[in-house]
Amino acid sequence: MTFTLLLEQIFNGLQSGVTLFLIAAGLTLILGVMNFVFLAHGAQVMIGAYAAASLISITGNFYVAALAAIPITFLCGYVLEYLLIRHLYQRDHMDQVLATFGLILFFNELIRIGFGPAALFSNLPPSLSGFVYILPDSPYPVYRLLVIGVGLVCAAGIYYLVTRTKIGAMVRAGASNESMAAALGVNIRLLRRFIFSAGACFAGIAGIMLGPLTAVEPGMGEPLLILSLVVIIIGGLGSVHGAFIAAVVVGIVDTLGRVVLPLLLRSVMEQSAADGAGPALASMMVYLLMTVVLVFKPTGLFPAKG
Amino acid sequence: MDLFKFLWTGVKEQQMLFGLLTGFALFPIYTAYADLPFWNDVAMRIMLLGMAAMGLNLILGYGGMVSFGHAAFVGIGAYCAGISQFYGLNNGWAHLGLSLGVCGILGLVISFLALRTSGIYFIMITLAFAQMLFFLFVSLEQYGGDDGMSINRADFMLFDLYNPLRLYYLIWSALLIISVILLFIVHSRFGVVLRAINNNESRVEALGLSPLRYKVTGYIISAMICGVAGTLFASWQEYVSPDIMHWSRSGELMIIIILGGLATLAGPLLGAVVFFILEELLPELLNLVAPSYAENWMIIFGPIMIFVVLFARGGLMGWVSRLAARRMSDHGVGQ
Amino acid sequence: MKRIVVAILAIAAVASGAVFLLPAQNNKVKVGYMTTLSGGAGIIGKQMQNAVNLAMEHTNGKLGGKDAEVIFVDDQRKPDVAKQLANRLIKSDKVDVIAGVIWSNLLMAIHKPVTRSDTLLISSNAGPSPIAGEGCHKNFVSMSWQNDQTPEGMGKYLQDSGVKSVYLMAPNYQAGKDMLSGFKRHYTGDIVGEVYTKLGQADFQAELSALRAVKPAATFVFQPGGMGINFVKQWNQAGMNDLSKLFTVFTVDGVSLPALKDTALGVIATQTWSPDLDNAMNQKFVADYQAKHGGYPSFYAAQAYDTMMAIDYAIGKAGSADTEAMRAVLADGGIPTTRGELQMNTNQFPIQNVYLREVVLDSDGVATTKVIDTVFEDHGDAYAKDCKF
Repeated sequence: MTFTLLLEQIFNGLQSGVTLFLIAAGLTLILGVMNFVFLAHGAQVMIGAYAAASLISITGNFYVAALAAIPITFLCGYVLEYLLIRHLYQRDHMDQVLATFGLILFFNELIRIGFGPAALFSNLPPSLSGFVYILPDSPYPVYRLLVIGVGLVCAAGIYYLVTRTKIGAMVRAGASNESMAAALGVNIRLLRRFIFSAGACFAGIAGIMLGPLTAVEPGMGEPLLILSLVVIIIGGLGSVHGAFIAAVVVGIVDTLGRVVLPLLLRSVMEQSAADGAGPALASMMVYLLMTVVLVFKPTGLFPAKG
Repeated sequence: MDLFKFLWTGVKEQQMLFGLLTGFALFPIYTAYADLPFWNDVAMRIMLLGMAAMGLNLILGYGGMVSFGHAAFVGIGAYCAGISQFYGLNNGWAHLGLSLGVCGILGLVISFLALRTSGIYFIMITLAFAQMLFFLFVSLEQYGGDDGMSINRADFMLFDLYNPLRLYYLIWSALLIISVILLFIVHSRFGVVLRAINNNESRVEALGLSPLRYKVTGYIISAMICGVAGTLFASWQEYVSPDIMHWSRSGELMIIIILGGLATLAGPLLGAVVFFILEELLPELLNLVAPSYAENWMIIFGPIMIFVVLFARGGLMGWVSRLAARRMSDHGVGQ
Repeated sequence: MKRIVVAILAIAAVASGAVFLLPAQNNKVKVGYMTTLSGGAGIIGKQMQNAVNLAMEHTNGKLGGKDAEVIFVDDQRKPDVAKQLANRLIKSDKVDVIAGVIWSNLLMAIHKPVTRSDTLLISSNAGPSPIAGEGCHKNFVSMSWQNDQTPEGMGKYLQDSGVKSVYLMAPNYQAGKDMLSGFKRHYTGDIVGEVYTKLGQADFQAELSALRAVKPAATFVFQPGGMGINFVKQWNQAGMNDLSKLFTVFTVDGVSLPALKDTALGVIATQTWSPDLDNAMNQKFVADYQAKHGGYPSFYAAQAYDTMMAIDYAIGKAGSADTEAMRAVLADGGIPTTRGELQMNTNQFPIQNVYLREVVLDSDGVATTKVIDTVFEDHGDAYAKDCKF
């Protein structure tokens, strides 16, 4: 494998990593700070993708649609929190699992009834379907670079919000000791609603950006939910920068595992055995990584709680 | 409502468990009388998955260890039957023994590693092991990969399982034995310690006991129960595939337990009955009301779960026991 | 205790009574049609259901001249649900034929119980190799194809057109491996890469980057369902068309084309059916389907329609819905379908043409496929020789 190809693959890993981070950022706060097991976070990704795809077909303009879809996803999170989620904070984790599992079924079915069971059409606008040469001889799709860019900007924004602002201080206080924070006058109720809606919004942005790349269909969020859970576990619950590092690591490990591992195996064993083992091992890579991390660091790499 | 109140008055947990078991024992008589042989099949599937859920409940409900990967043990149990048969070993007792052994060893290894973590980390590390096993079996081409392998019903010597009633009662007997074993475990010293660990692990440690040893033992027992369920599942289905190991299947087992009631003996079985009856009935009911939406039955199924959480704390068993308690106090007021 | 037992029996009675408020047995022909209606793959099941209903309209609600009833069941894409439903169709509904089944693993799960019960089982889609070869059964008939037939066509085409090297890609599961081995059966050129992707993979950019480095003249891909939408989109966006030519099986079809539109233009695929096949039955089917549901039917729909037409033909010719009589008629071949008159192999899988089709825009600007060549005429599968009833 040449250096150019390796660089390109690292870019690919980074791109899937930042997308994962957008989903995981909100989830790690919901799980870590609010101590709420929310399984329907993948549905927020789906809502974002559907909102953008249907707005594109109405307005005909990708940029307008993408921007307009962002507040919609925030609003969805807000309404969901108000109607249901706030009644579940005091319940134990297993109740939360059952209720949010019910939510997944409900949202997937709602989308199927509303938009039909088939995947929606969504594609890039011509202005974004070009290429940039990251190295001579290695063209890279503009849109994917844009995804990396938006992801990094969002990451920087979340980092600033959490470490430099008053809201962030409250979030961090809530992460380390919620009742103490409440006693010091933090409005926990509002804080939770804000964290939840913001988390939904970032997951929605991930969905909006994934729309043109992948199939926009009911249930598209569930595989991403599992992966982003892996990310926040490796990063440590409640830790935004942990989630970022873990997301990029997971993205790159997954990408390189898929491409490099079969080649490596082929060089050490015969072709037929390698063809069998390589892809199987590549599928397991992410889970193997998580297991190894947890065996040595049982609360992830950067846990928010001491 | 009054009917339900009447029916469940004063029902205690064990009565519910043995009531359900009696119900399953008598069910074939009813289906034979009403000429509904197909419902025996549904009942067998409910008993098998209920059995797996009961096994998981030992650690999830009583021990507070939320394993999100127990479907893997059901799958391993099924493959113990499938792969043995592939190599010509068709004895059902041997399958069961193999499955107990393999699930026990695997349970030991997985729980020993996984129990270094706790809480949500434990949920995810058990999921990780299950996913790795799932992908392993998907890639095993000689055993059919994800297309699975078609197998014959195992040979249990005395029982010819191609007689549907014998298969039914074999599964029922297994369920009965496991229920009795779990009843003993839960009320034994071991069970008490397991629950104490769930409540306050450091206190148990202060008493000079090693929580890890109890947790690992509990995990192994629950893995073995799931393995037995899986082996019988293979005979019921006459087919083995990785589908039964998928993470959504682990989720299904968890959902059944929470729906029925955590840390109750009858909860998982009751949960399985309600879960699968709803799965059968909702499409049919929708078909009567709004035929064009019959395939969208999950739009009702999902909110039912949310309502159970919101209005029936402690799952269906919690609801039942509260109804019973209210009934008792109503009597008190009446006097 | 007694009360509990009574209660449980009462609930069971109400529950089962609610489901089986069906009228008593009559001499209608009954067909149980199993497909996936709920969940992620519901769109395929919906198309098949539409096609079955259309077929019943075309036969005036009769099969072989007898009053008929189709009972649709939803397998939820779970083998244990499928097994249970098959049992219900056999024991409670006492159907004469069970048809449908999209997925190989589900067909494997129900194959044994259905064929053993002496009920005719007709596949509208799945055709895994174990039940085409040694594990075949006389009560099973395929109205679709054996998995390998379609990729064999593509292998033959690339071989015949002198393509020197090809890069292969399929998901890492059984059907994926079947497709690639089917392709290699007739292609003897250089295979410069053989990549197995994750099942359900959403992003193929890493594989495309690796592919770009190899620059193969041709790329052969099998990515069914949502994976196909993802792959073709990303192939297009990565500008791969300038580097390599894309050849596929079961990747772009009537289900995924509405989500891809002109993104998929120029993609070549082999298939045993196409909406523009020139025979009267196909023209009528496609036109009526479009009129009724808007949009082109997929091959799933066509095969579902063919399945009902085959049942109609078999009952008509045999004079009864007796399993052995119907089977004998179908095994004889000459079945009228949207693919013309189908002949049957010794394992009761069709012997049929494999066409080369290209994605084009029709006169209304809707993406569809057009036949550009016939790769195989009357092509049988490779497993029939191992099948002894």
